[in-house]
Amino acid sequence: MADLTAFQSWIAACSESITAHADDLTELDRAIGDADHGSNMRRGMTACAALAEQEDFSSIDAYLKKVGMTLVSTVGGASGPLYGTFFLRLAGPLAASEDVGAREFGQALRAGVEGIVARGKAEAGDKTMYDAFSPALDAFESTAGSGSELAEALRAAADAAAQGRDATEPMVARKGRASYLGERSAGHQDPGATSATLLIEAAAKTLS
Amino acid sequence: MISLVVVSHSRALARAAVALAAEMSPEDGPRLEVAAGLDEETTGTDAVAIAEALGRADDASEGAGVLVLVDLGSAVLSTEMALEMIDPEVAGRVRVSPAPLVEGLVAATVAAGTGADLATCALEARRGLDAKTSHLGDTPDPAEPVAGGGTGDATDDEEPGEWAGVEVSVTGEHGLHARPAARLVSTAAAASPGTRVRVRNVTTGTGPVDALSLSGVATLGARQGHVLGVEATGDRADEVLRQIEQLAATAFGDEPGPAQPLADDDAPAPSVSEEPGVAGSGLEAAMGPAVLDRTVPDPDDVVAGSEQEEQDRLDAAVADALDALEQLSARARRHLGDGQAEVFEAHAALLRDPELLGDVARRISAGQAAALAWQDAVQEVAGRFEALPDAYLQERAQDVRSIGERVMRVLLDVGEAEALGEGVLVVDELDPALAISLDAGAIRGVVTRQGGALGHGVLIARARGLPVLTGAGARADVAAGTLIAFDARAGRLEIDPAPEVQTAFSQMLERRAAERQQALADTHLPVVTRDGARVTVKANVSSVATARLGAGLGAEGSGLVRTEAVFAQWHRAPTVDQQVEVYSAIAQAFDPHAVTIRTWDVGGDKPLDFIPIEEETNPFLGVRGIRAFREDPSLLLDQLEALCRVARGQRLNVLFPMVTSLDDVDWARARLQEAARRVGLSAPPHQLGVGIMVEVPAVAVRLARLAHGLDVISIGSNDLSQYTLAAERGNPHVAAWSDGLDPAVLQLIRLICDRAPEGVVVSLCGELASDPDVAGLLVGLGVRELSAAPSAVPTIKARLRAGSLRGMQDLAASAVTARDAAAVRDLLALHA
Repeated sequence: MADLTAFQSWIAACSESITAHADDLTELDRAIGDADHGSNMRRGMTACAALAEQEDFSSIDAYLKKVGMTLVSTVGGASGPLYGTFFLRLAGPLAASEDVGAREFGQALRAGVEGIVARGKAEAGDKTMYDAFSPALDAFESTAGSGSELAEALRAAADAAAQGRDATEPMVARKGRASYLGERSAGHQDPGATSATLLIEAAAKTLS
Repeated sequence: MISLVVVSHSRALARAAVALAAEMSPEDGPRLEVAAGLDEETTGTDAVAIAEALGRADDASEGAGVLVLVDLGSAVLSTEMALEMIDPEVAGRVRVSPAPLVEGLVAATVAAGTGADLATCALEARRGLDAKTSHLGDTPDPAEPVAGGGTGDATDDEEPGEWAGVEVSVTGEHGLHARPAARLVSTAAAASPGTRVRVRNVTTGTGPVDALSLSGVATLGARQGHVLGVEATGDRADEVLRQIEQLAATAFGDEPGPAQPLADDDAPAPSVSEEPGVAGSGLEAAMGPAVLDRTVPDPDDVVAGSEQEEQDRLDAAVADALDALEQLSARARRHLGDGQAEVFEAHAALLRDPELLGDVARRISAGQAAALAWQDAVQEVAGRFEALPDAYLQERAQDVRSIGERVMRVLLDVGEAEALGEGVLVVDELDPALAISLDAGAIRGVVTRQGGALGHGVLIARARGLPVLTGAGARADVAAGTLIAFDARAGRLEIDPAPEVQTAFSQMLERRAAERQQALADTHLPVVTRDGARVTVKANVSSVATARLGAGLGAEGSGLVRTEAVFAQWHRAPTVDQQVEVYSAIAQAFDPHAVTIRTWDVGGDKPLDFIPIEEETNPFLGVRGIRAFREDPSLLLDQLEALCRVARGQRLNVLFPMVTSLDDVDWARARLQEAARRVGLSAPPHQLGVGIMVEVPAVAVRLARLAHGLDVISIGSNDLSQYTLAAERGNPHVAAWSDGLDPAVLQLIRLICDRAPEGVVVSLCGELASDPDVAGLLVGLGVRELSAAPSAVPTIKARLRAGSLRGMQDLAASAVTARDAAAVRDLLALHA
């Protein structure tokens, strides 16, 4: 079960991980985009990690909503509204929770991932963050459905996300700036799927 | 009015796009909000900032709606997110446009500025790319209609058959006003009846209208920047569309290209025409019984005959009027050039308008008499023009009324205004049709109650040598037949003058006529005074036509070509090629004499659209003449390049205006050198003399130094007077101080002549030089070259020939020591 402090740890871990990988993300984005994903995400997640110190939050959902809005206003690129939507939607099913279990987080994760789909109108195989989120959600749900705890389900999700991320490499981008490259986008791992995987891996380490 | 929001990754980009769009919209145009960038430098979009911008835009639009233009990727996502964040009621009034940012924003801003609704603006934005697509020949999806949808009339469906379409842009300054519209109509008419053409205004969504209907085409409200969708069906559809495209490429024939200043190829100099009734007396004065323009009676009490009779009557009247217009057009072309002729061609096109004629026919078949039906239909069309938002198009209502009256005269059997009788014509305003058609053998002069000296009709009359006195007001309210005498030179008007006044007037007219006749007869002879001094009299020139007029009147070259006047009507700077064409034509007109071309003299009271000068508190002491090019000499360099090219084949001088210091002279010569290198010369051509205007007293004082090494200096007596006397010439309150005959000015002129270095020609080109009474005094002061208004050239030459240099020098010696300008005038009267 994860409480507000755990969620704040998750965001702090996201920030650390993104910061540590910021240059890698930017390099990936340089190959097929505009070379700003690392710096954009670092700026956004750093701002999110600072929230816990700046403000007292009364609930998990209030905190996650604030994280979402902060990403919306600080990331700048397309990941701003996408991740912003993810966290805002994630907050919805957790409105009444002080301690979140696998079942509730599963509902929240589904809402969050559906939010990304609604916002980005991406489909599987478009070479986007959805290609990491989608298998992660499936893995989470099937693991949690068989009675596993939150931590275990998240570990399964993180593994699936990483596989999904790796699978983006040969794909031809059909969304975002990378889509302008067409066939030339193949052969590069998608930066969005990479950052998404970092976020879920951070969750697996912090939410339990 | 709807508001617009620009969502972009870059704040700088959004602001620049907004600035670009704002140029296209009136001052009270739509609100343009920006939500772009995370801050000034960081690129990105922020849904929260967008939500706030949407809120502000919605407030400003007062419920009319908000259109959002977005750039790439996250701009779209963030906008959608912002829409979820705001009040759903507000979100319901917001539309996000898929249009390309810049094109869409400009199109939507223009549409919004016209008060178009959200749906229309959104459509305009989507079509923002159309103009570029069509321009680049990127054929759109053939399934897409050329200009479908929108708020246009749905007549598309009425016309089955194959319609081919093109889109053309309206580039002319005044949009598709009467003359360009008439050219479009004529082009379409040439393919009629086998081929039908219809036009719509894609930008505003109005139309389609029948391309044969001038009023229909004009009421499309096509302004500069609008896109027209032109469609044609029939055997010559492709051909006519191609012709219309070609027409559009020249702003429908309105583009101020080299054709315009050169339009009057026949060098019409109607004031000296030998054709009877063309040339006026040229005396600037006239006396005779008042002739009044006959008004057209109201047709209210006309009794209608049968429908057939009335229709026949109308057809005959229209045919008569068309004949008359054709004659007027031919006459105008012969005497005044193509530009004037087109006024009448536009009138004829209006008269052939099937929509107007159809309307009249309907009224006649409803039982109205032809005259009444005509009057009502014309009023309706005129009213439609007046309701248009564009002031220029509103004025076209006058054209409609003019043809309305023309036909009405025939219908009611009222004599043509042109055949009025003999005497002095009194009118409220002199319209161009009347001015060109007046029989100068019968009408000795014209007095207008209203209107200034620069009205179009007045200029035409002047060009014909018809004496005109303008703005006489209520004093000219006289009964027909009342004797009127006027002298435009003195601004004098006598109504029913006493016998002795009549006698004095007659004598004055005879004197002027004799002098003019003699002067004209001898005008091509050189001027040598009785004691053998040679004086050159040149003409001041402001167009190719005035150059030809001046040459025709005996001017030995031009001492001043006012280039800013030659291109005064241009809104874009002429290219080097265009300038070469015009300057060559002017030089050619005076061949073998040299012409002196002054570089752009802008600032002060002479604005040029393409050389903007910042507003100054004291423009006459500000950035004028050559000073205007110190920061950016590019337009001056273009002009000098053109002069270098012309000077390879023709004799030219270049004159730099408003020179004040030695540094000005050096700088100007350096630019000339630079221009010469541009045309591949190591130095300016030998045939290109270099000179400066002497209009600043500082130059007069240091002339020996400043004029060293020059070929010519030209005294600009107008400015020299106002700078010497510290009194602005245009200010009536200081008129007493600004007299160019002030002895101080005369002393300066003498000083200039004395100090000019050996070999430098001293010319004088101000107003003083155009006064025949003053010419001798100037020669006496030492000036050997005068450049005058073309019409004054013959008289000045005659006067100088009649005098002796010794006498002129005596006169000058007295004048420079006279008490004041009035005393100088007394001296002139004594010597006359």
